[in-house]
Amino acid sequence: MKNCLIVDDSRVVRTVAGRIVKDLSFAVTEAADGAQALEQCRKEMPDAILLDWNMPVMNGLDFLRALRREEKGADPIVVFCTNENDSEHIGEAIRAGANEYIMKPFDADIIESKFAEVGLV
Amino acid sequence: MQESTFNELSDLALRLSGQHIAASKAYLLEARLSTISRRENLATLDDLVHCLKARPNPRFEQEVAAALSSKKTSFFCERALLEKIVTQALPERLSHSKTGRLRVWCAGASTGQEAWSLAIRLSEEMGSALARAEIEIVGTDLSTQCVETAKTGTYGHFDVQKGLSIHRLMTNFSRKDNGDWVIGDAFHRNVNFRRHNLLDSARDLGAFDIIICSNVLGGLAPAAQRLAIENMSAQLLPEALFFAAPDETIEGLSSAIKPSRALRGAFERDTTEKKTAAA
Repeated sequence: MKNCLIVDDSRVVRTVAGRIVKDLSFAVTEAADGAQALEQCRKEMPDAILLDWNMPVMNGLDFLRALRREEKGADPIVVFCTNENDSEHIGEAIRAGANEYIMKPFDADIIESKFAEVGLV
Repeated sequence: MQESTFNELSDLALRLSGQHIAASKAYLLEARLSTISRRENLATLDDLVHCLKARPNPRFEQEVAAALSSKKTSFFCERALLEKIVTQALPERLSHSKTGRLRVWCAGASTGQEAWSLAIRLSEEMGSALARAEIEIVGTDLSTQCVETAKTGTYGHFDVQKGLSIHRLMTNFSRKDNGDWVIGDAFHRNVNFRRHNLLDSARDLGAFDIIICSNVLGGLAPAAQRLAIENMSAQLLPEALFFAAPDETIEGLSSAIKPSRALRGAFERDTTEKKTAAA
């Protein structure tokens, strides 16, 4: 079973996204900010990361840049999932190494579609 | 909703657009007709049917029939089919074309995502022979409202995130101030949309190299399926190809088409019957 790390400072979003991702046959782990997520990735790299942008301690973009510098940090497929919906943010995320980008609000079809785009389902 | 109301509406859909609405799908009617009911200030579908009968109006009946049809679609909905068309069917047609001009008809195009997806996919064929071809895409739908939406090439937050990768979205669309996304102007040159009922002759649309009618025929009654296929096949150029969605079974629905010898999964016009009749 593939593992997906959901990184978002909102417990509600983690719960909702977690349910959707579980329905796509992923094992789900959670982190509330980028620093926690990086710590978890150093212990075990997930197959996929669903990543919020604005979070306390370490934001999603800084986390992604740090992740891609880690050994095996290029492996996880990272899908941003954020309220930052303008072209500049999307471009910045892609340049930092994001594989896909979900603009909030999302639904199950969007997550499934985006996961399909990057070959996760 | 009274049973007689369901019967009136399903009869209307069958008569005007060939749609078969099973009684088990009665629950869909309220949602599909909600916009019209609200606009006409009608509280229930029983009222709507009463209005249809009290003030017969062909235009209003057509609008109701169109509203009853399924609008479900998304970008790159039938990805494998689009790939087959772009990488096999269109190059094959182009190799026989003297003018370098090809025409594709997306029949039952709903709000246009399939037609725009094909245009986007074609724009990615930079190095291939297709890049030099002039390919016109015509999308048609029964619903005037759908056709108007399709023409604008403008889609909401949820629509653009289903089937479109972020790369394709950023490359081919721009974001409007209200949060909608609009397809690039360049695509409008070769893509156009028209209202058309598949039960009517399509002579006005002209002849086509490729006809795509995916996830449409399954919603029609058998007689309407036959008529729609006959009408569409009449617009196929010699050796041109007809496609339904890969999981749709259309073989045997009409003698107007037969499986293509050139491309597996495609159909071509069957002229056998006519030859026999002429003989």
